[in-house]
Amino acid sequence: MIQILIQGLLLSGLYALIAVGFTLIFSVGRILNLAYGAYLMLGGYMYFWISQSMGMPKLFGVVMALALGVALGILKYQLIVKTLRGDHVAVEISTLILAVVLQAGVVLVFGDSSKILLPIIPGVVYIAGVPVTYNILAATLASWVILGGLYLFIKNTHTGRAMQAVSMDTKGAAISGIVPDHINMITWAISGGLGALGGVFFASYTQLAPSMWVAPLIISVAVVIVGGIGSIIGTLIVAHIVGFMEVSVVSLLSPELRGVFTMLLIILVLVMRPQGLFGREEL
Amino acid sequence: MKLVKGMGVGLLSALMATTALAEIKVGFIGSLSSDTGLSTLRGAEMAIEELNAQGGVMGEKITLVTADTGEDVTEGVKAYEYLAETEEVDFIISGSIDDVSLGWLPRMQEFQIPTLDTWTSYIGIIDMVIEDPDTMAPYFMNIASDEALATLYINFGADVLKAKMGWDSVVVLAEDTAFGGAITGLVTDALAPVAGIEVKDVITYDVNTVDFGPIFSKAQASGADFIYQVSSVNSQVMSSQYVKLQVPMAMTGVNVSALGMEYWEDTGGAGGGISTLSPVPSVGFELDPVSAKFVEDYQAKYTSRPSIPHFNGFNAYHGLKQAMAAAAEAGGFKDVKAWNAAMLKQDLKLEKDGKLWLRYGFWQHGEVEPVTGRTYPQNARFDLSAPYDDAQPSMVVIQWKEDGTVGVVYPFEYANTEFELPSWIKK
Amino acid sequence: MGLRWYHFAAWGAFILGLMALPELVSKGTLRTIIFANYLAIFAISWDLLSGRTGYISFGHPFLIGIGAYTSAILTKRFGFDVELAIPIAVVVTMLGGLVVLLPALRIKGSYFALVTLAFMELMYQLVQVIRPDLTGGTRGMSGIQTLTRGAVNGFYLSSVLMVIVAIAAWLLMRTRLGTALTAVGLNESAVEGSGLSTTKLKMVAFLASAFVAGLGGAFYVHYLGSIAPRALFDINFVFTIIVAVLIGGASTIIGPIIGAFFLTFLLEYLRPWLPGAERYFIYGGIALLLYMYQPKGIYYMLQSGWARLKGSTS
Repeated sequence: MIQILIQGLLLSGLYALIAVGFTLIFSVGRILNLAYGAYLMLGGYMYFWISQSMGMPKLFGVVMALALGVALGILKYQLIVKTLRGDHVAVEISTLILAVVLQAGVVLVFGDSSKILLPIIPGVVYIAGVPVTYNILAATLASWVILGGLYLFIKNTHTGRAMQAVSMDTKGAAISGIVPDHINMITWAISGGLGALGGVFFASYTQLAPSMWVAPLIISVAVVIVGGIGSIIGTLIVAHIVGFMEVSVVSLLSPELRGVFTMLLIILVLVMRPQGLFGREEL
Repeated sequence: MKLVKGMGVGLLSALMATTALAEIKVGFIGSLSSDTGLSTLRGAEMAIEELNAQGGVMGEKITLVTADTGEDVTEGVKAYEYLAETEEVDFIISGSIDDVSLGWLPRMQEFQIPTLDTWTSYIGIIDMVIEDPDTMAPYFMNIASDEALATLYINFGADVLKAKMGWDSVVVLAEDTAFGGAITGLVTDALAPVAGIEVKDVITYDVNTVDFGPIFSKAQASGADFIYQVSSVNSQVMSSQYVKLQVPMAMTGVNVSALGMEYWEDTGGAGGGISTLSPVPSVGFELDPVSAKFVEDYQAKYTSRPSIPHFNGFNAYHGLKQAMAAAAEAGGFKDVKAWNAAMLKQDLKLEKDGKLWLRYGFWQHGEVEPVTGRTYPQNARFDLSAPYDDAQPSMVVIQWKEDGTVGVVYPFEYANTEFELPSWIKK
Repeated sequence: MGLRWYHFAAWGAFILGLMALPELVSKGTLRTIIFANYLAIFAISWDLLSGRTGYISFGHPFLIGIGAYTSAILTKRFGFDVELAIPIAVVVTMLGGLVVLLPALRIKGSYFALVTLAFMELMYQLVQVIRPDLTGGTRGMSGIQTLTRGAVNGFYLSSVLMVIVAIAAWLLMRTRLGTALTAVGLNESAVEGSGLSTTKLKMVAFLASAFVAGLGGAFYVHYLGSIAPRALFDINFVFTIIVAVLIGGASTIIGPIIGAFFLTFLLEYLRPWLPGAERYFIYGGIALLLYMYQPKGIYYMLQSGWARLKGSTS
């Protein structure tokens, strides 16, 4: 039981880190960024290249991955979102195509074999008899810190409140003097950075492979559907629901049903409460 | 005028010469971005170069065209069609993985182009050869089938795990794929009666599992002595987490990603202690002189990864030469039945220190293998019983050490190192 | 329906052109055309639902896969006749899709897209876990009965299928029903306001789309002779179908066909120049640029080009 608690907590932390960037874009811009998984992929590969291939210090690798994510987010916003000017469908499709192109690009540069990242922090510690790598501990702590920081940022800073305003009503926000364009750009930048960071942790936990952008996307999708649009807190809570459910299914039932149950949860929520558990948006 | 005429005649004869210079076209089907595909491609390239240097086959030069599958099943079908209908190749050498091969197999049956599969090891395809020898006549698989791999593993269980390590119970951790299910079935059916090892539990996991912590906890809870891993997809995730979590249980089994030299580099050194079965010749395998020369030439020619060809590269190298020899005997590739008969007779025995070390040959139709009691027509020859003087064993068990070296631990006739427990397991 | 002589002439010319092709092009090209035909069928199926009504489905392979697997399992495992298996597969696709996706139609926009994606992933998981002895599990199945042998026969079968589907869809869209469906895509609340039941309309679009998807999927699997979950329930497949429709021109019939042919030929013709992974990169890049330049598609580009030509000469 303790074991499920601990392992669930840790996995949920990782999932929260992964999903928050995706929900941010969806909440503020109402856009499905299907290339979100690509931030993770590229962040992971950048970290691999800097820290493992070139042997530079790990922190530098993380910073570079973060920078790449932010740059990519801004680029995407400027080149795709603004060009297609609010045609949501077109943006979603473009992001899908972009993700596939990026995957092909990664195969070109790195080949298609899977790579294992060295843990950011090596070593294992036993908590209540359960083996826990420092790596996932770091990921969970990082996710709490980041989410907490993000929450404070959104609630307490001017920019953050502007983001909330844009997410609720773009026109109204514009009238009150906020420049939606700037806010959107900042949101995309943050989303990209978070994605890249999540990618570094995700890849250091599982593996690095060109097709790795799909699984985190599905996880993020699950969190968005189950949680609904709206709060950061909602994302955190839902990530825990999904994480605990997975660990419970694996430990108590049968590990092969792991994916099936996640999907069923999505369907259940959709049938019973389509706007999600914490959604404040009517559909 | 004479000059012009002379030039005209010269041009004309040059033209006629090039059109008269027929060639044998070989098509490569596989992924051009994976170590597996590249191993087969380069093995084939080297074989073709050597044959051409000796004058070609039947007086004709051999050319090679490639069709990339990207390890995608649909692309595989398109690639095969491209080779057959656009390039009109005479022979196809495949470095495809199992499900891609299954994808283009119906096309091979339709076009009847002699095809050599160097990596795919699915026993179901050999079953198809038995059931329908006529349409499957062009197909040869020169790697021991996965069922033969698993069968010899049972002996490893008995000779090393039980006899040397003193283990008598196991928990199977298998991926929920067809491969996982097949190997698990073989192991659970035979491990207990033959090796005297009890199967305490079988845990099947989803290939997209992110966190193996709970799964390893379950394995420990079973109370077994060791873990038998069956992973072909994303196998590095489980094995690297095994190392990172320092799971206090020994683990061995089938880990497809550990089969190449790049494993150490790819895992950033987190691969120590992992052992897996591997087709022959594996990494860390001592080579006979002929194969050693092949590796030397390979490394002189290719500077990008893989640094040493995977076993399928050797298969491609020897297999392509055999396919050409068979064609020479059958008068070409067109008469599939004749080529099939000639190919079945191909038999390359490589010796090391006076002993039979490797054998590239094929099982005949109706020839029964004594241990499993079944036939493997058009499948690579292997030997399942010591002292392996009929052919090489269907597989060897290799183990990666924590310092990055790798060696063969079983069978003893081929072993160059001992099976050890990882350093974090105090037993 | 407002059918005029030039409609018949255009379709007639198109059909005649197709029939004459085997004489004019190589077998390799015919094979590429066969794949393009099937992609066109899937693209038309997607367009009937998502192009018309604006409900973007990211899980269309889910429907195609049901059709393909049903027919494959019935013929290979249970020895059904193909003539029986295919119609059953189509019905199963429509039912399965109905049971599962209809509740999802209550949800709008991006949520719908996410749900369909989730369903496709679910099918991918299920097909490997549930009764792998029937479905062939992760490896899939080989040796499924093929309906034709050879490039030319495959070409004729797929072309006939594609033309029938195209004409049927085209006719459907010219009925009042079709107009109503297009209206839903343009402004759903207006349609509701006019007294029509958008739910019923969406259901019709959905059933039509499922019918075509199931039909296409069943014939496709009998052309390939093999099936694998990785080939069908794959996000790359989603990508190919959607891009084919959008690059060709959504909400038309010719658009998806143009897009399917353009994409399939682009990928195949790049092969001799860029043998390896560069191919997919360039192919994806071209698709992205093309789409961003003109999200309305090639058909729109052709139409406006034609209009400009006419305008400039008059």
